[in-house]
Amino acid sequence: MRSSWTPLGPPVSQDRIITSFPKWYTPDACLQLKEHFHSRVSTACQHRNTGTAGLRLSKVVVVGDLYVGKTSLIHRLCKNVFDHDYKATIGVDFEIERFEIAGIPYSLQIWDTAGQEKFKCIASAYYRGAQVIITAFDLTDVQTLEHTRQWLEDVLRENEAGSCFIFLVGTKKDLLSGAACEQAEAEAVHLANEMQAEYWSVSAKTGENVKAFFSRVAALAFEQSVLQDLEKRPSTQSQVGDGDGDLIRIEVPKTQENKRPPGLGCC
Amino acid sequence: MAEVESPLKLSGAPPPPEGVGGGHCSEISTELIRSLTELQELEAVYERLCGEEKAVEKELDALLEQQNTIESKMVTLHRMGPSLQLIEGDAKQLAGMITFTCSLAENVSSKVRQLDLAKNRLYQAIQRADDILDLKFCMDGVQTALRNEDYEQAAAHIHRYLCLDKSVIELSRQGKEGSMIDANLKLLQEAEQRLKAIVAEKFAIATKEGDLPQVERFFKIFPLLGLHEDGLSKFSEYLCKQVASKAEENLLLVLGSDMSDRRAAVIFADTLTLLFEGIARIVETHQPIVETYYGPGRLFTLIKYLQVECDTQVEKVVNKFIKQRDYHQQFRLVQSNLMRNSATEKIEPRELDPVLTEVTLMNARSELYLRFLRKRISADFEVGDSMASEEVKQEHQKCLDKLLNNCLLSCTMQELIGFYITMEEYFMRETVNKAVALDTYEKGQLTSSMVDDVFYIVKKCIGRALSSSNIDCLCAMINLATRELEADFRDVLCNKLRMGFPATTLQDIQRGVTSAVNIMHSSLQQGKFDTKGIESTDEAKLSFLVTLNNVEVCSENISTLKKTLESDCTKLFSQGIGGEQAQAKFDSCLSDLAAVSNKFRDLLQEGLAELNSSAVKPQVQPWINTFLSVSHSIEEEEFNDYEANDPWVQQFILNLEQQMAEFKASLSPVIYDSLTGLMTSLVAVELEKVVLKSTFNRLGGLQFDKELRSLIAYLTTVTTWTIRDKFARLSQMATILNLERVTEILDYWGANSGPLTWRLTPAEVRQVLALRIDFRNEDIKRLRL
Repeated sequence: MRSSWTPLGPPVSQDRIITSFPKWYTPDACLQLKEHFHSRVSTACQHRNTGTAGLRLSKVVVVGDLYVGKTSLIHRLCKNVFDHDYKATIGVDFEIERFEIAGIPYSLQIWDTAGQEKFKCIASAYYRGAQVIITAFDLTDVQTLEHTRQWLEDVLRENEAGSCFIFLVGTKKDLLSGAACEQAEAEAVHLANEMQAEYWSVSAKTGENVKAFFSRVAALAFEQSVLQDLEKRPSTQSQVGDGDGDLIRIEVPKTQENKRPPGLGCC
Repeated sequence: MAEVESPLKLSGAPPPPEGVGGGHCSEISTELIRSLTELQELEAVYERLCGEEKAVEKELDALLEQQNTIESKMVTLHRMGPSLQLIEGDAKQLAGMITFTCSLAENVSSKVRQLDLAKNRLYQAIQRADDILDLKFCMDGVQTALRNEDYEQAAAHIHRYLCLDKSVIELSRQGKEGSMIDANLKLLQEAEQRLKAIVAEKFAIATKEGDLPQVERFFKIFPLLGLHEDGLSKFSEYLCKQVASKAEENLLLVLGSDMSDRRAAVIFADTLTLLFEGIARIVETHQPIVETYYGPGRLFTLIKYLQVECDTQVEKVVNKFIKQRDYHQQFRLVQSNLMRNSATEKIEPRELDPVLTEVTLMNARSELYLRFLRKRISADFEVGDSMASEEVKQEHQKCLDKLLNNCLLSCTMQELIGFYITMEEYFMRETVNKAVALDTYEKGQLTSSMVDDVFYIVKKCIGRALSSSNIDCLCAMINLATRELEADFRDVLCNKLRMGFPATTLQDIQRGVTSAVNIMHSSLQQGKFDTKGIESTDEAKLSFLVTLNNVEVCSENISTLKKTLESDCTKLFSQGIGGEQAQAKFDSCLSDLAAVSNKFRDLLQEGLAELNSSAVKPQVQPWINTFLSVSHSIEEEEFNDYEANDPWVQQFILNLEQQMAEFKASLSPVIYDSLTGLMTSLVAVELEKVVLKSTFNRLGGLQFDKELRSLIAYLTTVTTWTIRDKFARLSQMATILNLERVTEILDYWGANSGPLTWRLTPAEVRQVLALRIDFRNEDIKRLRL
């Protein structure tokens, strides 16, 4: 029997509440086309029966060339600020952003890594255990798009195959005109499909698509987390149901009298 | 009305009833009274009029009662009359006085205002005269001071001149003395330029000669001339030269030092330490003079200049370090070695040990130095920022962060640490692999050598990363250790367990366990035996048991390691290393490490299940099956005979005890306890099956009950787990088998079950009842349960 769910941690701000499944940016390159949560997930959330998923968070690793705007992207989400002065990230930075998804609290643990080659050794020690990989590139610089392939390979090497959601994100959308943007996006979508990644274009300067993108990330990670937990549960329950005494060190004395086992007929 | 009232008084009418009252006028009109003809109506009206009369009389009485009060008050007022007359006169007199005072005040105030205006103008005139005198005084003073080479005094005069309000100077140019003022101003300006040149020249000479008192003397004069930036710049240049020459001297000492020296392995770290200490000492020494003569907020400028020189010197030292230690070359070798298919020359991890230690020491000293600077600059900014706006404060914070985080020193250390992490990873991996390869088992020990060795190595590597004072480095190393323990080392143990505990026939098992013990005994003479060469079944068994112990200790060690790191880092964070974000980052990495402890625990459970199924079960099952060869359909004579010579349970208990004792010698207490728990579960399950294949009569049921109690009593003594629950079904079966009659079950069932909770289903109850050969099937079927 699970005790009733109670909220933990600080309250979630209003614009981090997700009640319906967030939509993709472009259907040409997305991880899921459906627009609703998985039915089992919806049911579990309604009954507050998501197990430990409510206490869980997802590890998100952000990689990409230097100067593409990884840190700015994260700061726009977490602090809603944009710094015009460029400062290279040294080592690894760390932010936690809290969401409430279908009534359940859930957090993204976002690791912001250094894009400079000489700081790669430190950053690579943080790749393991990622549930979401975000590879960022600059929409105005085609070379940074080419390099995302190598960045993704580096991160995948440290993780089990098929254990991560992959996102390809084009930054600095505000700097491109409509036509140029379309062209850059076409190339990116093509590469995203090769990577089996979902594509998004964003602007950290204007804030365009940033909130929607991370809501999408959070929802996908959350759904996956709940489904995995639900898959584990049946075997766990059967183990408990075996009545195996190994788990009980102290026996609770039974004081109830005239107790009738359920399902047994009356004499 | 008069006619009506007169008869009333004369007739002496009775009083009206209570509650009846009237207004000042009768509510009944005269016309109405005249129109009345009925006697009853007349009487009613009469009653009402009597009531009204009473009310009016009461009112009159009340009014009359006030007569005395009013009369006394009138007397009082009359007596006060003369006094009021006096008061009126006094009041008029007072009004007159106030009016007079008011006009007097107005007059005086007007005069005071005029006087004040005159005073202000006089004051301004005096001020102007003073300023003019100041100009002359400054001009005369500066000339005299320059002649006497009293530059402090000359600067003081210039400072005073520079502080004068420009408008005052303009005013002083007017009037008949204007031309003379102009001449004086020109002279002052020339003197200012001369003094600036002189001070700069003198300062340069002093720095060239290394005359610190003179350097400080002229350094103090710059701000008086409004040359704060120049002063700081020149002074910093001087200080930087000192830093540079000292650093060069230290580096030469290093390059010429004897490699057999005790500090040879960390000589470059020591050199950096001297550099940082030298700069810190400079800051410590000169901060007071900067604060006093340049004001708060200026220390940042000085340190910014110094840091440029620091960066230059650090680069030199680090370049020498890289060259001398073959740091980059070693890194490349390590990097290629880490690719597992590498055919490159194998690098010995022991060779990396000294250089890894030196790098972390270098980084630790850098972190300490940078924290020192941050503390000093922040304190200096706070003094000046106390009245400043939030924007200014944030700007200062940003400048400080930029200086400390993006200076060449920080970037250089990050690069060194990046390489260090890769090399430390290699060191850890190779050393762990070596520990596994050299694994040995000592007599009397429950675990083999690799466990202690591996955790010593992991702890050493993380400890070294911790000593760097770099949170990113520490977290990276924890991540790498987590992977090493979970992916690599756990696999080693997992593979050993996957070979399984060798299963053999009953006789071979008994001989095998004995042989394993013999091997352990023989190791007494040899002191140890090598587990690498395990080929025989007996050795494989022992290896399995030792590995189980290893897994358990690993799980415990990881928990201990986590606790140790938590307390170590609490100290680190309390020293100001890293902020809230660093704490969260560390907690995240540490929780990943803790998760590995659980994975080892899971592996232990798998191993125990394997041991139970391959070693315990094949032996226990035949022992339990011998229960079938003992008849439980017995007469009184046999029952008494069984009491004297137990046919099954005593031997069974003896067998169990012997078997488990042999495992007890080779397993840790915790694991042995878990194995015993599994064994008791196995016994309960298997015995249930066997009982269901047997037949009983009344005495046979009694015999079984005794046997079961003996077994439970024994098993209770050998395990800390509660076993009552496991044997609940068997106990209930024994209860059923002891019934006198079929219908007696109803005394225990349903509403009569009392505290007993039945674990047997109705179908099972019938099945057990059917085991009694003396119970009729029809009676059993007739039961309604």
